[in-house]
Amino acid sequence: MYGGDEVSAIVIDLGSHTCKAGYAGEDAPKAVFPSVVGSIDQMEVDDLVNTENSGSGNDSKNTGRPFDSEKTKGKRKLYVGSQALGYRRDHMEVLSPIKDGVVVDWDIVDSIWDHAFRECLLVDPKEHPMLLAEPSSNTQQQRERTAQLMFEKYEVPALFLAKNAVLTSFASGRATSLVVDSGGGSTTVAPVHDGYVLQKAVASSPIGGEFLTECMMKSLESKGISMKPRYSFKRKETRPGDFQTVDVDFPNTTESYKLYSQRVIASDIKECVCRAPDTPFDESAYSNIPMTPYELPDGQTIEIGADRFKVPDVLFNPSLAQTIPNMESFADIAPSVRGLPQMVIESINKCDVDIRRELFSSILLAGGTASMQQLKERLEKDLLEESPQTARVKVLASGNSTERRFSVWIGGSILASLGSFQQMWFSKAEYEEHGASYIQRKCP
Amino acid sequence: MDAKDILGLPKTPLTVPQEKKSRPQKDSQRKPDGISREVYALTGGLAPLMPAVDVSQLKRRPQSDEKVTWQWLPFTSSARTDNLQLYHWVRVVNGVPPTGDYSFAKYNKSVNVVKYTDEEYEKYLTDPTWTREETDQLFELCERFDLRFIVIADRFPSSRTVEDLKNRYYNVSRAILVARAASPGDVSGHPLVKEPYNVSQEIERKRALSMILSQTKQQERKDAEVLAEAKRITEARIAARSAEESDMPVASNVSPESNEKNIIPVETVSPSSNVQIPPTTVAPPTSTADNLSTLNSLRGMRVYLRTYALEQMVQAASSSAGLRTIKRVEQTLQDLGVNLKPKVPTKSVCAEHLELRKEILTLLNLQKQLQYKEAEGSSHRDGSYAETPGTPKRSQRAGEQDRTFIPDSISFGGERVGKRDQKRKAPAPPSPAQSKRPRKLKASD
Repeated sequence: MYGGDEVSAIVIDLGSHTCKAGYAGEDAPKAVFPSVVGSIDQMEVDDLVNTENSGSGNDSKNTGRPFDSEKTKGKRKLYVGSQALGYRRDHMEVLSPIKDGVVVDWDIVDSIWDHAFRECLLVDPKEHPMLLAEPSSNTQQQRERTAQLMFEKYEVPALFLAKNAVLTSFASGRATSLVVDSGGGSTTVAPVHDGYVLQKAVASSPIGGEFLTECMMKSLESKGISMKPRYSFKRKETRPGDFQTVDVDFPNTTESYKLYSQRVIASDIKECVCRAPDTPFDESAYSNIPMTPYELPDGQTIEIGADRFKVPDVLFNPSLAQTIPNMESFADIAPSVRGLPQMVIESINKCDVDIRRELFSSILLAGGTASMQQLKERLEKDLLEESPQTARVKVLASGNSTERRFSVWIGGSILASLGSFQQMWFSKAEYEEHGASYIQRKCP
Repeated sequence: MDAKDILGLPKTPLTVPQEKKSRPQKDSQRKPDGISREVYALTGGLAPLMPAVDVSQLKRRPQSDEKVTWQWLPFTSSARTDNLQLYHWVRVVNGVPPTGDYSFAKYNKSVNVVKYTDEEYEKYLTDPTWTREETDQLFELCERFDLRFIVIADRFPSSRTVEDLKNRYYNVSRAILVARAASPGDVSGHPLVKEPYNVSQEIERKRALSMILSQTKQQERKDAEVLAEAKRITEARIAARSAEESDMPVASNVSPESNEKNIIPVETVSPSSNVQIPPTTVAPPTSTADNLSTLNSLRGMRVYLRTYALEQMVQAASSSAGLRTIKRVEQTLQDLGVNLKPKVPTKSVCAEHLELRKEILTLLNLQKQLQYKEAEGSSHRDGSYAETPGTPKRSQRAGEQDRTFIPDSISFGGERVGKRDQKRKAPAPPSPAQSKRPRKLKASD
């Protein structure tokens, strides 16, 4: 028979933008929701009610009340999931657990997992081995913490931590490849050889989907278009077929929530309209292209012209972001950030000479941002210029954009349902015997 | 059709396919029993093909005396060191779950990495560039990653190259193997001992490979442009040089082409490199020009046989002459006792052979001119010379020329006969040509 043997493992991929969770053996995750949470700090709410302080909520944790901070941490109410986040609440801050690829807030991670298990998948973690996907350059400390949280709190029978790049590589059926993972928070280029990531050759840049969304937002704002968050208006039907927008004011909405709602709209614009240009972006060349209309949720229709191509070109030419007004804060990290083709070449050149040819001929695209149109063709074209003449450059991406977004999860699903994988789990007994640091041995 | 008529064959082959065509049509009109007309029409009116699979084998139903259920049961695997029990679906027959190890446990293979003790390390394995800890780490990683050296080099704490790690690993393994063997003869057949790991060769190989891979497409294009430019320059220089040197017969060998790296072949043509034929004091300019042109064409080839070159030169030299003249030249050569193609084609022999041919050619040409002039002269003087031989006779037999010339020389001046005879025995020097020219002038006076 074929090599599969299902043990009903659960695969979770906590990305910087969305969290994907589901059963191993299936071809798509059942639970997909944003990996940011809304948090309302209970103490702050009580204090506000008491002192009648009605400013729109600032950072609710530590302003002037150090002695309360421990209590506030414990009394935070977290709202996870797209449904909970979609509903506007007073004083709700939007927090992300991951900063620069590193988990900083384990409570939020905990709540996300909890939401996935109990509300989305409806499983009891005690009965299912867990396969978690981790970033390709994860530190030892983070892994130990993950293992600790999983075993102590959720009491899973077995655990495995797999690197994102390896899972993407397995999802396309290769043991050796160069994975370009362009997700929400960052873009990582990692070579995988024989199923192991070559960590010294991993290159990453902070330009990801979120950064591009921000570029898009700033660019539209500079043109005078203001994006009204969905909660801030109501549309009333004055006559049949004719709508009128009425602004609704919610003074207690936090700034972060407003930004978050606006980003949702901007990222939708980006996904619908943006295309990777065939040649490096040039202001003058694109000044006369026809504009594409887009209808915002509040009814106004905007025209998007050169930005369609300018924003995706930031991936290839990061210094382009500096030309967008209000993005000057990027200037201080700009010198060290390189474009996508340069990162690919750099990463391959750090690898051993013998495998370079193989890496060139199997470059995989993964991640949400990689499902942008024409990205694959543009990357291939740029790489053909810079790559050695004797190497055959081939960029592969599955045609289905859903597969590209979930390729890490799909790889995990494949891996966890293989018969020959079942000997590799890091079990609870081993954790109790050797401690969390044993994970370094077990999960290479 | 016509062929068949000619052969008388019957035209029957035409009727056979017609018969075949009529038969399927009749079949489709008759539908078989058992299925309705519409369903049969769906198959396109043709009878179904015989199935290749035996129908009884299609679905092997389980024997009815067995009771098969699928149960969610725990299992253990011998590939695991602990006793983790995971669950999976198991086909249970008659209430008896299958026994035996987990079926995928047999795929758990690992590499045999040698393990050395402390004393063995002290005795055989110490190395100035490697500490004990590093060696231990290396071996642990080797075992973990199954000798995937690229991954091991990646995870190794200090940055050592792949070749360095491989070198150390293979040296240690070989030393241990040799040390543990009962006698050296036992292990001499072992691949580790027979073919030791060659570090310097690997480093060289990788360096060469990286150089090849570092040439990007842009660089290749630039290289190609530079090479094309250089070729143009050299061609221009050759043309200029061949126009200059018309009085010195020159030959040059072609220097072998350099490798694909950027060595511009500007200096391949050096006129003074090899002078094949010692410059003779007087040589007709036309022959040298011919020589140069053939040399130019030969320069295009890098390796050529000398006989081939000789043939080319002979052809070039006799290009101005007709077929008959060539035949006369060859006849002269035979009469002189010289082979048409030199038996031992060394440089000097070929050169002399060529010279001989050229001189014979010149001789014949001058003789012909002389005869024309004489014929003119004789037509002027109404045939005063009784012994003037007829031109057609002379033109056919080159062997008579020697004799015909003697009467000429007698008539004009006899003292040169002896000289000419002597001279004809050796490879013909150019003096007959020299002596003919003043005489020709005299005749035309």
